[in-house]
Amino acid sequence: MSITVDLTYDLAKTLGIRRFEIEAPATLQDVLRLTRARFEGEDAAFEKLTRVTGFVVNGVLISHGRGMETPLKEKDRVSFLKAAAGG
Amino acid sequence: MIKGYAGRILEVDLADRSFAFKPLDEDIARLYLGGKGYGTRLLYDMTEPGIDPLGPENPLIFATGPLNGSLAPQSNRFAVVCKSPLTGGIGSAACGGSFAYGLKKAGIDILVLRHQSATPLRLEINGDRDIVDFLDASELWGKGTNATQVALGKGRNHAVIGPAGENLVLYAGIVSDERIAGRTGVGAVMGSKRLKAISVTGTRKLDMEDENKFKDYTKWLRQLFRDHPVLGEKLRRYGTMGIVNTTNARNIIPTHNFKYGHHDDAMNVSGEYLEDHGLVGVKSSCIHCPVACGRDVTLEGVGRVKGPEYETAALLGPNLDIPDLRWVNEWNYLADDLGMDSISLGATLSFAMELQERGLLQSGLAFGDPTGIGEMIQDIAHRRGLGSDLADGVKRVSEKYGGKAFAMHVKGLELSAYDPRGSFAQGVEYATTNRGGCHVQGASMYFESTGPLTINPQNLKLKAEIPVVQQNLACAINSMVLCIFTTYGLIPKAVHQMNPNGFLHRTIALLFENSGPFYRLVSGLKLMPLLWYEKWLTYITGEKFTSGRLQEIGERIFNLERMYNLREGLTGKDDTLPDRILHESTFPHLRSGHPLDQLLPRYYKIRGWDEHGVPLPRTLARLQVRL
Repeated sequence: MSITVDLTYDLAKTLGIRRFEIEAPATLQDVLRLTRARFEGEDAAFEKLTRVTGFVVNGVLISHGRGMETPLKEKDRVSFLKAAAGG
Repeated sequence: MIKGYAGRILEVDLADRSFAFKPLDEDIARLYLGGKGYGTRLLYDMTEPGIDPLGPENPLIFATGPLNGSLAPQSNRFAVVCKSPLTGGIGSAACGGSFAYGLKKAGIDILVLRHQSATPLRLEINGDRDIVDFLDASELWGKGTNATQVALGKGRNHAVIGPAGENLVLYAGIVSDERIAGRTGVGAVMGSKRLKAISVTGTRKLDMEDENKFKDYTKWLRQLFRDHPVLGEKLRRYGTMGIVNTTNARNIIPTHNFKYGHHDDAMNVSGEYLEDHGLVGVKSSCIHCPVACGRDVTLEGVGRVKGPEYETAALLGPNLDIPDLRWVNEWNYLADDLGMDSISLGATLSFAMELQERGLLQSGLAFGDPTGIGEMIQDIAHRRGLGSDLADGVKRVSEKYGGKAFAMHVKGLELSAYDPRGSFAQGVEYATTNRGGCHVQGASMYFESTGPLTINPQNLKLKAEIPVVQQNLACAINSMVLCIFTTYGLIPKAVHQMNPNGFLHRTIALLFENSGPFYRLVSGLKLMPLLWYEKWLTYITGEKFTSGRLQEIGERIFNLERMYNLREGLTGKDDTLPDRILHESTFPHLRSGHPLDQLLPRYYKIRGWDEHGVPLPRTLARLQVRL
């Protein structure tokens, strides 16, 4: 079993995928590292697309929990989250 | 007369085709502003308890407020008030477009329509000559809202119904331009009066207390809105659908009739996706609005039409397991043209799908399958076959076919597209809002799940306080009458630039979350204007407005709505949420749904209501709510 990582629209558009999976257990640093790796050295593009972007784990913004220390386990869903528009 | 008001109520009797201009009551205007507030006061005073919402005794009240007819951004909205045929309680809806502007230019603050015409009728109101023409509308009867407005022509401002209103669909709306007063079935009440359309014209000037100050302040605010990250950038670029990816990540986008809060392909109905696939232009549907949140899309065989809003995209997309913009665009157009609320429509369709899935109803509709949906929308609007049942909304369908546990409504009004299991304050707001399960009577979720600075949405802190303050503010805004999107501008640009996972965000959120009574205290301060609404109102009317006074006016309106509901037979037991929301978890770390039972007593206490949700005499006395 694995962890699902959902990308923002801009990340998805750039990478040509909407989500990918990583092996559990993992950390959010792993998610960042593995997402960055998909940019194959284009760090500036990665930084630009993830500026003012947070993480949500299973629907919960991590700043309401353990922040970047939030442990990830099997079947977890991690989403990159951009600041919202109005709805 | 207080400045900012035309000073006149136009009362029209559709049965004997007479009309009269009556003076606006200044005392009521001071207590209730206008719009929804004044309209609710009139409804309460004009009607006997227990009237049939679709009978002749139910008045249909179109109400503007002191900011309408000015150049204030997002101020061209009107409120419609009546007894709701959908909920049996207070019916109210607000609408953009241009009709509010037209009414005010005609020198009319409030239009009251009484009784019923025997035959299809339309009204032409000339505010300069003070005449009302009663015209035969037989040739328009049956036409969609678009064709009707085209037939009525340009140069006047229209409010019309479509076939859904004519056929008394209980969630039919009233359309002005490309906007709709969608909720609570106000279009059915207009249809019951056999009134197809109202056209208004006039060239009267709004009299302001200090026009120069108002203009200078408005100019400054227009620029602030243009530079704002949400109003000037995100909403302008993506429209309200720009929030889809946020609610999906937050696990609160209705999916499969609210069984889930996330859909793997929700991105396909997002504002970003629309921009890349089919957005043909950006335009504002409401005059004098610098935000321009309306989207245009192209429909095959129809051409360029207004695209969907977030609510429509969510409830006709992931909620039906059909996150496909082509279908959402088509069904959105159908709902608008037929003149019905796409929120209630989407929730009713998903309910019919779940009934089919569980073998309780042979609806012919299935999750994930667009087959038959367009035809069913037409059947609903024309009350054909099963469509006639679905035209009565989720509550009544559940009473007939079963499935009350997953009937997604509050007080009969279908839930909008923010699942409260991931937004506890929004859940309290849904449960207690007088018109039923609606998000724009407070928009508490903005502080929990969708805004740039959000508190933890899943603990009990501030979850009873936020709805109280927000509902009061929304009542006041809907009585000025302004667009609730103006509140987005209250959040400074700097907040939008904070990292949602950063230390600063976390610290401010924690402080806010623990502010408790202090939050209500600050919101209710009567010392100075804290928001721009007060300054606008003061410059226009000459009356002194503070944030506390606005809170008090909003609270007064909310309590009057409450007393109306109680008078019509609703009780505290109606302040609840669907069983699915209360008992089924959509979050792996939670064993149940929304903790309403832990929050409702605190909410009642803050409101000054007893344990059954009835306003205490001292609360009504403090607010000067006369019964």
